[in-house]
Amino acid sequence: MRTEGRVWVLCVGLALAHLLLHVGLAIGRAAPDLLTVALLLGAREMGMGRAAGLGLFFGLLEDALGVLSFGANSVAMTVVGALGAVTRDLFVGDSLFFLVSYFVIGKWTRDLVHWVMVGESLRAPFAEQVVVQGLMGGLYAALVGVLLLGITGIGKRAQV
Amino acid sequence: MPAYGPGPETNGGRQRGILAATFLILALSTSYLPASVQQRIAWSMRVTILVPFLATQDRLTGAQLNARDVGDLMRQLDSMTALSSTRAVLVEENRDLRELLGLADRAEPSFLPATVLRPGTQGSERFFFVDVGRAHGIYEGAPVVTQDGLVGKILDVREEISSGMDWTHPDFSASAMLQDGSMFGLVENRRGDFREVDRLVFDGTAYNEEALPGTVVLTSGFGGVYPQGIPIGVVDEVEGTQGRWRKSYYLRAMVQPGAVRHVLVTRRPAEADVSALWLADSLQAMEPASGEGRIP
Repeated sequence: MRTEGRVWVLCVGLALAHLLLHVGLAIGRAAPDLLTVALLLGAREMGMGRAAGLGLFFGLLEDALGVLSFGANSVAMTVVGALGAVTRDLFVGDSLFFLVSYFVIGKWTRDLVHWVMVGESLRAPFAEQVVVQGLMGGLYAALVGVLLLGITGIGKRAQV
Repeated sequence: MPAYGPGPETNGGRQRGILAATFLILALSTSYLPASVQQRIAWSMRVTILVPFLATQDRLTGAQLNARDVGDLMRQLDSMTALSSTRAVLVEENRDLRELLGLADRAEPSFLPATVLRPGTQGSERFFFVDVGRAHGIYEGAPVVTQDGLVGKILDVREEISSGMDWTHPDFSASAMLQDGSMFGLVENRRGDFREVDRLVFDGTAYNEEALPGTVVLTSGFGGVYPQGIPIGVVDEVEGTQGRWRKSYYLRAMVQPGAVRHVLVTRRPAEADVSALWLADSLQAMEPASGEGRIP
């Protein structure tokens, strides 16, 4: 299967797994943010427009489950999708350091934008949501993302 | 990461940029859509893509409850066997009293049992679904309670499912009073530095009166959202004073929303005073020793 096809399959699979873990099984924060991982993986394979569109769709999925700050996830995921695709033109690399940084910063950016968009009355303190949970979530996402890249071999194509 | 081909053409890059900007504007606009449109978008996703996941949680919650119930039932059976002979008279008396008060008849039409579903995603921590809706007589603003007290209220009602917020939401507020009706005020949510230390505050009470720790605080029925008599919490300590005319108290909440799986949802026609439903069970154990809720 072509790499782009594999990435799409992986994105859909991760999105379904995310919804199953977070909504179906109600595991909560113990489960990684696979939706952001899927978006970051996909964004490196598709153009900025399509990555932003995928981010918007993923964000709407999350917003549908929390009407109190509708739109915050949509904006956060759209921004992350677009920026993720931009990194393809700016940074060339598949080193472990780059991949970990990419996922950590991507997830942290998603949490930061969400924190800004969610509004003062609803958001948790910056130190809790962005600094602590954002960075821990980023590391968790990086672990999962790097493992997935290793298992699927998507990131190895450049070395051939 | 993926291989990189030749650099993007200018036109293609511009098109992708325009497309991304369009999606970003669309995403931003969703925040400013009217609430009804936002609800429609959210519900359209819940009844299509998200249905299997919400149904999975519903079934899983049911299975967990059943599994737990079996253990509980076994333990209860053992205890009941030992106690049944001595309790028989009390049970009969209790049944007579309940029939006398008409408690069951009053409670049943006003409250409907429901299962709570939690979305479990970021930004939805104070939000829940219940598996009852307009078809069952549920209405927007309907109080959601457990056997211990107030959980929150319903925000949006659909035919078979409703969504609501619990008391940890910053917009939560309820007119309240001490159990003996001697002091009135407003119960609000007070955010802690971390979510785990969110607390309820009984605010706006008279400075020259003091509520005793352990006194039960109930909804007062003012404002028309919550009927009178639903337990909210018990007085814990003084939170602060404002000048020499107002005092507020921290409450220990009766209900920890995160642990709630089954609730009762008020349905029309709502009762104006439901205190009798709780007074007989949970509140007596929490009354202060003096029996007096305040010190003038």
